[in-house]
Amino acid sequence: MHEKLQSLIIEDEPYYRSSGNEVALFSAAMKRKLPMILKGPTGCGKTRFVEHMAWRLKLPLITMACNEDMTASDLVGRWLLDAEGTQWHDGPLTTAVRYGGLCYLDEVVEARQDTTVVIHPLTDDRRILPLDKRGEVVKAHPDFRLVVSYNPGYQSAAKDMKQSTRQRFGAIDFDFLPQAVEVEVVAHESGVTPEIATRLVSVATQSRALRGRGLDEGISTRMLVHSGSLISEGISPHDACALAMTAPLTDDPDLQAAMSGFVEAQFGPRP
Amino acid sequence: MNAHFEAIQGPVSARKLGMLRDIDDCAYDALIRAMPLISDYLKNEIDLADLAGLLLQIASEKPEAARAFADRIGNDPSLAGDYPGLRRWAVHGLQKHRNDIECMLHHFEWGSPQAYSDEQALHDTEELLRERGALLHYLAGFGFAEFSIDLHEPDTDGRQTRAVTIDDGVIRYPRRFHGDTTDRALLRRANIAHVAAHLRYSPLRRPAGNRRPSLVAMTALIEDARVERLMVRDYPGLKALWGGFHTATREVSGFDFAGLSARLARALHDDTYIDTNPWVGKGRELFEEAASKGLDDVNAFDRLARTLAINLGKMRLEPSADRQPEPIYRDDNAILWGPDTALPEDAERHSEIEIVDALQDGEKAERDVEGIDVRHRYRYPEWDHRLSELREGWATVVEEELPRRKTWPSLQRLTQPKIILSASARVPDRAIRLTRLTEGDEIDLNVVVENVVQQRARLSPDGRIFCRHGRRRRSTSVVLLMDFSISTERFVPGSFTKVIDVEKQAALVIAEAMEAQHDRIAIHGFSSNGRHEVNYRRIKDFDEPFGEEARSRLAASASRHSTRMGAAIRHATALLEAEAADHKVVLLLTDGEPSDIDVAEDDYLVEDAREAVVSALSKRVRTFCVTLDRRADHYARRIFGQRNFLIAERASTFANHTNRTLTRLLAL
Repeated sequence: MHEKLQSLIIEDEPYYRSSGNEVALFSAAMKRKLPMILKGPTGCGKTRFVEHMAWRLKLPLITMACNEDMTASDLVGRWLLDAEGTQWHDGPLTTAVRYGGLCYLDEVVEARQDTTVVIHPLTDDRRILPLDKRGEVVKAHPDFRLVVSYNPGYQSAAKDMKQSTRQRFGAIDFDFLPQAVEVEVVAHESGVTPEIATRLVSVATQSRALRGRGLDEGISTRMLVHSGSLISEGISPHDACALAMTAPLTDDPDLQAAMSGFVEAQFGPRP
Repeated sequence: MNAHFEAIQGPVSARKLGMLRDIDDCAYDALIRAMPLISDYLKNEIDLADLAGLLLQIASEKPEAARAFADRIGNDPSLAGDYPGLRRWAVHGLQKHRNDIECMLHHFEWGSPQAYSDEQALHDTEELLRERGALLHYLAGFGFAEFSIDLHEPDTDGRQTRAVTIDDGVIRYPRRFHGDTTDRALLRRANIAHVAAHLRYSPLRRPAGNRRPSLVAMTALIEDARVERLMVRDYPGLKALWGGFHTATREVSGFDFAGLSARLARALHDDTYIDTNPWVGKGRELFEEAASKGLDDVNAFDRLARTLAINLGKMRLEPSADRQPEPIYRDDNAILWGPDTALPEDAERHSEIEIVDALQDGEKAERDVEGIDVRHRYRYPEWDHRLSELREGWATVVEEELPRRKTWPSLQRLTQPKIILSASARVPDRAIRLTRLTEGDEIDLNVVVENVVQQRARLSPDGRIFCRHGRRRRSTSVVLLMDFSISTERFVPGSFTKVIDVEKQAALVIAEAMEAQHDRIAIHGFSSNGRHEVNYRRIKDFDEPFGEEARSRLAASASRHSTRMGAAIRHATALLEAEAADHKVVLLLTDGEPSDIDVAEDDYLVEDAREAVVSALSKRVRTFCVTLDRRADHYARRIFGQRNFLIAERASTFANHTNRTLTRLLAL
């Protein structure tokens, strides 16, 4: 392993509670070097899953959060200047390709479509990364793996992956965990009792029924963990749920009223 | 004729009465016959004119109903003293029973106008309608997304139903809420949660058979307690929510049927409540025993309800006829019993508040099943400025299927104004990147490096090292709404061109200019024939090119009927809402003020159109009007607002004016 990547190795096991066969599927895909798409609503555990898998596969994890201003150079690298002259600096993608690592492009549809095209030669059987500015073709290290993620729920038609990009990947659909498992996760991550966690998860389950009634997405597991930790800090459940769940989720007064109702249905009327 | 009647006569009322006589002399005669009695309740001429106007409106819709109304007033003249209540009652009858003349006549003969002037009920109703959205979301959270919330009809004798009723897909609320001390929002949530408990766990619509009223009431009470307990397992907070409404005690509730039931309800809900009454104690004991064996066995609970009912019978206690649910958040449990229920059934099965804002989910379009009339129909509310209320679903917009032929004569152009819509503003867009600029917001690192490399290689760099994000054109969607009422057949004063032709010219010019700019434009037209038939023609839709076919449709459009502006604006707004543009504009081309055959009131349609414009604005749709009516100033200003209309006096400049207007609009 290159010493550059040593710090990106994950030492301790990140907590991940599997609810299906995604670990087996993903391991098999990684074994056959198949690039993967992870789809799913926000806060359902996509990033945590990648961290967990990187730890399992003992690969350094190189994460990039994509955005509109990102250029191809930001991914592959660029020439920079020093006293001696120009010097090539590898981008995160090139680093992963050259030395072997798990490259994770988070929210990949936020990047412009022409930027993501640079991954095309990497994701078919060529497994090469041409650096035209440097006149070099980097052959992928045997340990190089590519994973991207996005949330199909709220993205507009304008932000979508090209067909030519899509068809190079395998995909796993993520959704919120079954109730009992989610309770386990919330209790573990936030430190509340399973009893409180059950109530929090019930609120979230009710809010998810409002999808399509003006709510883009229901309360996510991440939000539940946030409000759970506030409750562990000694904040009253009503305040914690308002702060970490109902207030951030929507500005619509009707929806907020309904969700305060769900909190009330678990924790009783506000004293 | 008495002296007071003579005193309140005047030119305004005389005009209204004259119109009434022309439309329906029977109703007129009935009114005049009743006048000696009614006139005592009318303060002045305006009151008389109002009454005549209301009768006129009913007569223009259903003459029989007008006669029934006039007779009713004659029999009960005191009704005339409360005009708003009377008006609300009449409008309600016209709308609700619009398809059933029998029901409508019954409404006017036997309905109770008093119920419509109960201030408390009006206030409660308004409050409920405000909260309706939140309550439906709340219910959806329990898994019942397809329900609507509605109101109970007031009883014929003016008595208000107090309890909530669950029906198929509808939850009916009373018009007037009791329990004034409590937090209303809390009470309604307790209601809805209780309703959800029934829907989730109760066996619905069982035949009641020959059960006695006391058994029916007791079964329902036990069932309430059972489903609430089941519900609390999943939603533990509900226990405290419901608990707040259990206030029965020995002192407050007493020992009659209702009192004991309320105490039992509380005892079953609250373990800490202590009640020394042996019957309540027995009920509690039996219930807990059954509950310990499982809450899902309905029959076991039925059996214990029977035992309790028999015990009550031994005490010679019977439920009173007008028993109300106790505690107040519970429903009347009509949903538990099938058709042969011992409880009175709500005869009114039609929905009262129709939630058919057209183009909303599910109820997009009603199609006639006969297969004859397959036109899409949409219902829109109308604004009653006298009552400051929306009349729900009052006007029906009918979309016409246009003949798809190509043989219409094409439009002759009068003039060919050259139009450039250049003012469309541009908005920043980070997805567009402009690089290699001599000045800009950011330095482009790649280019800088390239420049320095060239410098060191003793070449001259070009120095354009900046970049910034670009702008894209603001996207625009315009509905060009053309007035096709019969008045547009007139010639424009001072020329030999018909108004409709001028409108078509303008539409042609604007559509071409907009198309050339890749803006989205739709050309629609409207004319109305009473509130049930506002015809809406889609000459060119957003997704359709302005080609031969659309042109010939435009050329072929003929004028007829009247101008019900508000409904057309609402429909255009609804269509624009589906568009994803930065700018949304309704541009109305017209030749006169709104009018329709079934409206006699002067300001009604003007005020309605104004409301339509205002509510369009709240949906980010702007409305602008270009009119050929020189006397348009007073009403156009009222409808569209100070700067949102333009009076084009000459036919030759109409298209130009319209276009300039649009340019200005889009530049804003």
